[in-house]
Amino acid sequence: MNYFLYQGCSLEAGGVHYTVSLKAVAKALGMTLKEIEDWNCCGASISYVGGNDLSVDILAARNLALAEAQGGMDIVAPCSSCYIILNKVNRKLQETPELLKQVNEILAEGRLKYSGKIRVRHLLDVLYHDVGLDKIRAAVKKPLRGVAVAGYVGCQSVRPYGEYDSVEKPVIQDRIIEAIGATAVPFPNKMRCCGSGLFLTELEACYELVRNILGDAQAQGGKIISTVCPMCQMNLEAYQGRMNKAIGTDFKVPVVFITQLMATAFGLSRKEAALDRLLISADPYLKAA
Amino acid sequence: MEQVVGPKYGFGGGKAYDQSFAREVYEKVDAGDELKMCMQCGVCAGSCPLREKMDYSPRKIFALVRSGQREKVLSSQAIMLCTSCYSCIVRCPRKVPVMEIMHGLAHYALRQGYKPREETALFGEKFWGNIYRLGRVDEKDVALRYFLSHKLGQAIKLMLENKNMGIGMLRYKRMKVLPERPIKNIKSFKKMLDKAKAMGKGGAV
Repeated sequence: MNYFLYQGCSLEAGGVHYTVSLKAVAKALGMTLKEIEDWNCCGASISYVGGNDLSVDILAARNLALAEAQGGMDIVAPCSSCYIILNKVNRKLQETPELLKQVNEILAEGRLKYSGKIRVRHLLDVLYHDVGLDKIRAAVKKPLRGVAVAGYVGCQSVRPYGEYDSVEKPVIQDRIIEAIGATAVPFPNKMRCCGSGLFLTELEACYELVRNILGDAQAQGGKIISTVCPMCQMNLEAYQGRMNKAIGTDFKVPVVFITQLMATAFGLSRKEAALDRLLISADPYLKAA
Repeated sequence: MEQVVGPKYGFGGGKAYDQSFAREVYEKVDAGDELKMCMQCGVCAGSCPLREKMDYSPRKIFALVRSGQREKVLSSQAIMLCTSCYSCIVRCPRKVPVMEIMHGLAHYALRQGYKPREETALFGEKFWGNIYRLGRVDEKDVALRYFLSHKLGQAIKLMLENKNMGIGMLRYKRMKVLPERPIKNIKSFKKMLDKAKAMGKGGAV
């Protein structure tokens, strides 16, 4: 199981605990992840301000061309924003020969060329369809018994095509949560938007979105929220304190990446699971397991 | 030329929409021509997480484009309140890429000198600046540049408001302390972006 890891910018900073835990989990599951050399930012959700469509297509196409030149393995994108953009542009290029031609004219500036052969996949897709639940179950040493987890998928993780899970009611993350021994609580708001890249500049509007997500998770009995997107993790966790002050709520819900729960269940250390990187500690709930 | 329609059916004369803005959108706005497929059902509006904050829902924006309301569309708050959640795209029964059109309209409006949501426009500008300069985005650098592009008093206020979060990020080692370095092939990367800007549709004025 060899893949390119498209790490993306967030996983080097605010979401670094995703990277740390992902690498530990990948090792335990026998996955080899190779970084795409000299990768560039995917543009994320706010790129339309500075770039036109073609510029944003180029951001993705350059990464795809690099991956093709460096071995052509499937790209795994753990960040949902990276995933949706790379995957969307990839499909556009594969289905529109005129666009591919135009993009290649531009990529030639860096002596790069893309033929359209790469596959872009989300981490959840690879964990479920390539690794499989059996192998995940077999790696569990300390099942997370009794830990009630609300699996927050976030809007971009399976969209726009729904290639590996439903775009409205996805289930894969919940299956993984159950495979590591925890309980996946029902979570109707699991696909509701967290505010994404607008958070810093549209605080008031985004607080409401986050309040609904956290409130729903709690109402369903979820003690920990698990996610697969660094933007979701940041918005749901890092802004919680500020939001509590601003709108008079008192949330203190730990928000972790699914890979952190997996690493914990695999019996890896707290450091390998990057539990020491959380602003709101998940220890009280995980220690009880 | 003013076109009068309707009288022969006995309903009196009505004025036809001025279609020049719709044509402008189809030709010059990224994904703008996709708007032609909209049948005004409103599923996009019902799916939008920030609909209540918008002056016009996406459906209304499209109706305004068709009815030639250039000023209303390009200065509307709605076109810059999109969180990019793709709900409208996955639910549209006509497969209209609603979100992409909203982004296209926002980009076009900004190029035309409109600033529908000033703060988001500023943040987005700094974000793109990071991409162009480094090939990557350095979260703390974008945030700092965004804060510091305000007048001093406001910049300080913003930094104080975000202080605790910044300290948290530092404390839990979730912030890069050193400045981000450009990617190896930054020169050719910039050339690519320059070329895409010139060849693309959205920037045409």
